[in-house]
Amino acid sequence: MDIKELFAKQEEMQRKTLNAKNEKESEITKVMTFYIGDQVYGIEIPSVIEIIGVPHITVVPGIPYYIKGIINVRSKVVPVIDMRSRFGKEEKEYTDRTNTIIIEEAGVSVGVIVDEVIGVIPVFQKNIANSPDRIGVNDNKFIKYLLEMPDGIKLVLDVAKLIYDGDIYLTDE
Amino acid sequence: MRKGNGILMAKVEPGMEAMVDVYIFETTALLEQLDEILLRTEKANEFTEEDINEIFRIMHTVKGSSAMMGFENLQVLAHKGEDMFFIIRENPEKMTDVGFVYDLVFQMSDLFKAEIDMIQNDDNYEPTDFSDMLAKLEKGAKMLKGELDGIDIEEAAAAPEAEAQAAAPVAAAPDCTTVRVFFEDGCKMENIRAFMLINNVRESVDDVEIVSYVPDDIESNQDSANVIIDNGFLLSFRAPDPKAVFSAIENSLNVESYEVIDANARKEAEEAAAAAAAPAPAASAPAQQETVSAAEPAASTPAPAAPKPAEKPKNTEQKAPAAPSGGGKQSLISVNLQKLDQLHDIVGEIITTESMVISNPELEGLRLESFTKSARELRKLTADLQDTVMSIRMVPLTGPFQKMNRIVRDMKVKLNKDVELVIEGDTTEVDKSIVDNLNDPLMHLVRNCMDHGIEDNVEERIARGKPAKGTIKLSAMSSSGEVIITISDDGAGIDTDKVLAKAERSGLLMKPASEYTEREIQNMILLPGFSTNDVVTEYSGRGVGMDVVKSNLSKMGGSLTVESKKGEGTAFIIKIPLTLAIVDGMEIMVGDAEFTVPISVIKESFIVKREQILNDTKRGEMIMIRGVCYPMLRLNEKFGLYSEVNDIEDGIVLLIESENRGICLFADKLIGEQQVVVKPFPKYLSQYDIKGEGLSGCTIMGDGSISLIIDVNNLIGSH
Repeated sequence: MDIKELFAKQEEMQRKTLNAKNEKESEITKVMTFYIGDQVYGIEIPSVIEIIGVPHITVVPGIPYYIKGIINVRSKVVPVIDMRSRFGKEEKEYTDRTNTIIIEEAGVSVGVIVDEVIGVIPVFQKNIANSPDRIGVNDNKFIKYLLEMPDGIKLVLDVAKLIYDGDIYLTDE
Repeated sequence: MRKGNGILMAKVEPGMEAMVDVYIFETTALLEQLDEILLRTEKANEFTEEDINEIFRIMHTVKGSSAMMGFENLQVLAHKGEDMFFIIRENPEKMTDVGFVYDLVFQMSDLFKAEIDMIQNDDNYEPTDFSDMLAKLEKGAKMLKGELDGIDIEEAAAAPEAEAQAAAPVAAAPDCTTVRVFFEDGCKMENIRAFMLINNVRESVDDVEIVSYVPDDIESNQDSANVIIDNGFLLSFRAPDPKAVFSAIENSLNVESYEVIDANARKEAEEAAAAAAAPAPAASAPAQQETVSAAEPAASTPAPAAPKPAEKPKNTEQKAPAAPSGGGKQSLISVNLQKLDQLHDIVGEIITTESMVISNPELEGLRLESFTKSARELRKLTADLQDTVMSIRMVPLTGPFQKMNRIVRDMKVKLNKDVELVIEGDTTEVDKSIVDNLNDPLMHLVRNCMDHGIEDNVEERIARGKPAKGTIKLSAMSSSGEVIITISDDGAGIDTDKVLAKAERSGLLMKPASEYTEREIQNMILLPGFSTNDVVTEYSGRGVGMDVVKSNLSKMGGSLTVESKKGEGTAFIIKIPLTLAIVDGMEIMVGDAEFTVPISVIKESFIVKREQILNDTKRGEMIMIRGVCYPMLRLNEKFGLYSEVNDIEDGIVLLIESENRGICLFADKLIGEQQVVVKPFPKYLSQYDIKGEGLSGCTIMGDGSISLIIDVNNLIGSH
């Protein structure tokens, strides 16, 4: 038998047993993590369009204080939300480390300003903590689930709720 | 249009999905054409032969395409309509006093439109049951039949059944050649093959005139394939050189054999075919046959109508958009609006990018002769490009204007008022998005004219020296970047006393009644919650309407004003910018924010002296210009922006005016004039009332920064 085939077969078998054994350990998704204050938050990668610094923000009247205004992302006008003030934290001056993460859900783009982007981590089923009942409701309505990682707990945000704000209906223009 | 189609697909036969849009488009166009013909003929009180044939053709096409799409209920409905006009076509000379036909056909056309609308928009589309209408149509057909032919009811009912077969047979025209064509065994879809054969003959032989064919429903009826298998396909044509036709038939696909048959043999075959195709009483067919064929042999050719040189050119022109398969070359194509919007956006971006390149700060102070020259050339070309793209989106106002005919007609009957609608300048072109949004406002205004404008009593009119017949005039013209649409009536005019009293009762007055000018009072009817009509009618008087019209129009950037003279009539004047997407703007700075003010509203800009400012009791500032006092609005305060320019002498004042109201804006400085591409605010922000703050949109400037566009009407309103 060809040695290559043998290798392939062996690899295949290994993978199979691994999968059977570690069903719980298969990667579900990837999450981009970032700081808001001291807490690490995350957003699932499929919702992330791009990460930029903080560009010039054009102030728009008549909108809530946590929406800082609109920015121009490659000829597209996108509103930006300051996450610190969205979560009721004290606002901080933007620095070189401050990032704007452009996220999109159902065709609506929004930029969220966070203190600092950390990186991307893979998420396995075993990392998802059994959430207390309070997750997903009231003050915690923006949290989709908790991740228990060796280096601490991370809160993964629910982008749809963040954009649609839970109770606001967006007209289809 | 594309909204629900993804889900709709399941309801349409597989393979037909792509056709749904086309079907909806074509059928809608046909129905509009039908309405137009009916209105015209009703007005002229005369059905020409041409009109009847045209209506018959429309019905037939709708029937055929509905059947093809599998919308059985629509097919049956169209079939009944076709029946009725079949009877009329037989005896056009007796078609005089049949007002009920109009009502029936209008009702039918409404049902059709509603159904098509449902197909288009309703995700859970369920075919509607039209049995009521069908019964009405049948009864109409019987009445026609009874009146015209004196045939009793049973027979008349049977006659339409035989129609499909009866319509087809060929006249005993001597110069006509008939062939019987057999297709290869088991070649499948004989009806389609037959259809292709006809097309093939038409294409390959000049001057050929297809007189008729049997069975004639090959396009719509699957079963006709079996008839063809059994009896062959009969094709009658008139051609200077029959041999050419024979060779065309020979060269057609799947043709097994053909034979030329004479008139007698043909008749036999026909009867056999008719008997085989439908269980209808074949006996009545021959009797029908003669009348039909003698009256209109050529017209019985089902749609698409053969391009017949004898037909009037005007007629063919009308047909062109509806019957694309009719042969002739078309100079029109239909384009998906989304693609146009995309093109439009890209052109907008190009213009922005162009100014980014040409006025790039890095080029400053350099002597670039050839660059400047090329840049000028480029600017000229992009301007051309922009104009062309704009013109693609421009459509005439004919559509929404013609629809008003129908409304006037219906209301005329209901309100028992004799009114004529005069249309002027309906060829004026405006942006497609405007035309789409104009229907409702126009309808409201025309209804208002019908209901409130024109006097209820003819005596009243005559007493004032006006003709007994009222006139509503709908006119459009374009002037300097705006289209002006006027809807006027020669009715009673606005009773200012009544309006004022009503406004007082409704608590709409802001100052003592005596201080209102006539013009102000007249425009009160546009206020929300205002209706002078004490009785709510089907058409108006509910107190919604005029303000809705106004807000609809202002969404398009338009305005509505009223002019009226008591006893002489009322005119509603709509002004809408020709295009919404590109605005000539003046760029101004307030603090570090940039704003765009549409040039069209700026009356003047100037620097004021402190002494010119008047302070009112509420710490508001005002300024007197040429005897008129204008309020002063500091934009930094209005928009909550930090600005170092707080002394009125350091900044600049813009006098802006819209809808006869003026206001002065105070800004830090003027930057200059620029054409900007209007972008709406991001969807996420649509939940907040930014419009109410006096901003209509934003635009991306050459340097990538965003400028907010000031919405003057709202700004004045909110002040």
